[in-house]
Amino acid sequence: MKAQTERVAGEPGAAVEPGGAVEPGAAVTGAVGPGAHHEHEVWRHRHILDVDDFTIDEIELVMATAAEMKEILSRPIKKVPTLRGTSVTIIFWEASTRTRVSFEVAAKNLSADVVNIAAQASSVTKGESLVDTIRTIEALGADMIVMRHGTSGAPYLAAEHFSGHVLNGGDGWHAHPTQALLDLYTMREHLPEGTVAGRKVVILGDVLHSRVARSNIWTLTKSGVDLWLCGPATLLRGFERWAGATIPGSATFTVTSDIERALEGADVVMALRIQKERQESGLLPPLREYTARFALTRERLALASPDALVMHPGPMNEGLEIMPDVATGTQSVITDQVTNGVAVRMALLFLVSGVRDVE
Amino acid sequence: MSSRALAGADLAIGAPVAHLELDGVWAVDPAAGREGPADLVVEEGVLADLEWHESSGARRGRGRATSDGQRHGLVVAPGFVDLHAHFREPGFEDAETIVTGQAAAAHGGFTTVCLMPNTEPPIDEAPTLRTVLARAAESGIPVRVLAWGAATRRREGKGMAELGDLAEAGAIGYSDDGAPIPVGLLRNVLAYAGMLGRVVADHAEDRELTSGAEANEGLIGTILGLKGWPRSAEESVIARDIAILVDVLGSDSSAARLHLTHVSTAGGIDLVRRAKAAGLPVTCDVTPHHLALTDEWLAGARRWSWQAWQDGPDRDGSGAPTANPWAGDALAGPPYDPALKVNPPLRTPSDAIALLAGLRDGTVDAIATDHAPHTLVDKEVEFGLAANGISGIETALGIVLVAVEAGKVSLLRAVEALTVGPARVLGPAGVPAPALEVGRLADLVLFDPADGWLVSESALSSRGKNSPLLGRSLPGRVLLTVGAGRLAYRDPDLA
Amino acid sequence: MPSPVAEREILSADEIRRALVRIAHEIVEKHGGTDDLALVGVQRRGVPLAYRISASIADHERVTVPVGAIDITFYRDDLSMVAHQPVVKATDLPFDPSGLTIVLVDDVLYTGRTARAAMDALMDFGRPRAIRLAVLVDRGHRELPIRADHVGKNVPTSREEVIKVRLRELDGMDEVVLHRLAEGDRP
Repeated sequence: MKAQTERVAGEPGAAVEPGGAVEPGAAVTGAVGPGAHHEHEVWRHRHILDVDDFTIDEIELVMATAAEMKEILSRPIKKVPTLRGTSVTIIFWEASTRTRVSFEVAAKNLSADVVNIAAQASSVTKGESLVDTIRTIEALGADMIVMRHGTSGAPYLAAEHFSGHVLNGGDGWHAHPTQALLDLYTMREHLPEGTVAGRKVVILGDVLHSRVARSNIWTLTKSGVDLWLCGPATLLRGFERWAGATIPGSATFTVTSDIERALEGADVVMALRIQKERQESGLLPPLREYTARFALTRERLALASPDALVMHPGPMNEGLEIMPDVATGTQSVITDQVTNGVAVRMALLFLVSGVRDVE
Repeated sequence: MSSRALAGADLAIGAPVAHLELDGVWAVDPAAGREGPADLVVEEGVLADLEWHESSGARRGRGRATSDGQRHGLVVAPGFVDLHAHFREPGFEDAETIVTGQAAAAHGGFTTVCLMPNTEPPIDEAPTLRTVLARAAESGIPVRVLAWGAATRRREGKGMAELGDLAEAGAIGYSDDGAPIPVGLLRNVLAYAGMLGRVVADHAEDRELTSGAEANEGLIGTILGLKGWPRSAEESVIARDIAILVDVLGSDSSAARLHLTHVSTAGGIDLVRRAKAAGLPVTCDVTPHHLALTDEWLAGARRWSWQAWQDGPDRDGSGAPTANPWAGDALAGPPYDPALKVNPPLRTPSDAIALLAGLRDGTVDAIATDHAPHTLVDKEVEFGLAANGISGIETALGIVLVAVEAGKVSLLRAVEALTVGPARVLGPAGVPAPALEVGRLADLVLFDPADGWLVSESALSSRGKNSPLLGRSLPGRVLLTVGAGRLAYRDPDLA
Repeated sequence: MPSPVAEREILSADEIRRALVRIAHEIVEKHGGTDDLALVGVQRRGVPLAYRISASIADHERVTVPVGAIDITFYRDDLSMVAHQPVVKATDLPFDPSGLTIVLVDDVLYTGRTARAAMDALMDFGRPRAIRLAVLVDRGHRELPIRADHVGKNVPTSREEVIKVRLRELDGMDEVVLHRLAEGDRP
């Protein structure tokens, strides 16, 4: 999404829509005109735990701020002093390279001091409880905690015992708010008119165990998307009920195991990672069958719109849920997701930093 | 108006009540099938006099609850009987002891409590049972403590415990609560227990279906990313247990009796209803939290089950309302409160409504608290790792009164489910039917439905502060609890 | 929108125009020409002012001095004191400032913190040969050792007063007014 537009010189200031197209015949006077400005919003979130309680305006604010952060990433010096003196502790109870490094880069780009804790190596393995670990981190002077945990709801427990800000880098099956926001940013960046409203977006794969899917469901339904979830019935367990529940805004929500119907005319296809454990836990037949019926292949992708975006939260099992030629093909925006991840996380670190101890 | 006179204002806990006069209180006596304004006198620990005022709204409480505009002031009822509580001693005294449990029970208006045997060591042998009963008797708090004996050795499900010895030592029945009695043994336990005149209480759970489960399988569990606890895990076991009971009655022992404890699903209640209609000796109890709380509390909502049921905008496949707390502004607090993690899990509003209907129509015999205190260490952890259980013996009356105030059950019926109902479940091996009977040792509770109390850690006598109602006000402040003619609890502000 | 509180006009539209013309001349005079000269407006109102100054220079010198825009939100030293998140606008520097003389343009000079943040931001883009500061109004009360090279008008104020600059590109009209803060207003 582009934050700057070109304007006819001398026009009285009208609010310009972010991502607005260049007006035909706009006079260019040697520099791009003043950037789009946004309605001043009050941002309520002291933590980033989930996107279920984000208003549409807050989502827009994240998108706009991320665009500014992306501009910083294009500079020779990719750093601003905004969070100088702020201490960010990153503690991941579940291994992850991509998200952890993304947060670290984001925090450092804002000049924050970063402490990285791999929970396996810390006293957590000696049986220290989550609450005690958080208290220790607070005593060590952390202002912000970025955490990933294998149990749904863990960040809420952490937030209750921490006087600073908690950002959720993924909890159990429940939520991955920063991922959903960077996914949305990426979609808006590539889709015509910079909007997802009314677009057909398909989330394909192991939805049941996916926090990426759940958080995307919130952001996409709030954005008025035509949302489809597709996968084997055992991995869609319970989502038909969600699809039947009251949805905000103008979204539609369909759950199906019919992959052809799901992909037909899709504007975005997001493939989710399938783990070998699913076969072992009795949820699926041997994964060969999953690949045969549900993998995102070139042939299946051809059912979607010719400009459809291919996305994946990573890490990918190429050859299992997504074929290599699709993952690296022209429609793939997977590497943009990674870049945008840094910008979105910078935006979120910035936005929560201004919120004091609340209500 | 009511007045009361309690002679010897500094009466100690455990001391006999020398003289107590209650004028114009609302007496509720389910054994006599009546409620209404009355005057009551206790003399030297015995209920010496009970004068019903005529022309009262005395009525049987069966059927739909009616709002009672005539009820004034304080209410007196027989002391409550809790069929199902955990006092954690021996083995887990950090969470509760028999003494602290009795104090909590008295605060809740209970004068009889039946303890489950999942202690360490478990109550699977007579000596352990005797120790527990002796501990309760010598505590000085006149709350009668009874015990369920374990059905299987060490509750491990591999062989019958010494059921006969346990009966002789005073066991009121048998249960492996916390765990189901394995299908292989259940038949034999039912038969043997029938022979001994004792009821078998089964915790109906198919553990294969609930492996790793964290929350009721439903919309809330799906959205919160919690592993589902399917209804079939309870319903299938209830159905199976009833079928086995039928075989036992036909071939082994016509005296066998089956009690299903903490039934939480609409389907489960339905199975019990049908079994009763067929004349089978099946009884069941439900907990206050399954009547009034639902799985949407896990998402941070705090509506009573009937409010969620009514306000819920969505309908499930069968047309029953489902609560969607994200649509609207029902979310009142943070999600994943580990105090809400309980076995069986909090279910949907439709289930709770079905439980309330079962309570009204008599399918539900008793309200039992399943009081399950836990230490902070075991509860203040990630939701999926938290120990199961709600510390509920002190909040039971309050929850029940909220339901009465909302018209979901009549006061008479509710008190019946807390007194006469549990006694009937236990049968001759248990307690005499609680009643306000002149000439008997006084066993009663006096409470004020109009006066509330704030549920807080300091207000709870139990060591277990794991209540989801912390910070909430409940109606029905207990003013006085008298057990076997002695003072069990007295409100600090009572004159 | 004009405030209901009593406002006193400090500069009329004509006075603004003349001040900008004078500043444009001064800039060129001080620099000795227009080579290696660029203007950078500080978001928000510094940006249209920078454009007007560049247009004015073009009138006299027949040369277009390039204009950029800089947003200093991420460089503010007072973020922790801001109750609401400040609105982030756009930075756009279509040239490398290294080796150039950059004139920062802003509407009001007050404590000097904005100017200092603007210099920090600018220097993250490169190494200008010199940085100068041009403002429409200097209202005093500096908290840092910063001074403007070019000033439209000096207006002594008290801390209870607010200077509001309105420009037609953003507000539909040109004027500079002064009003008193009501009790509890944020400056």
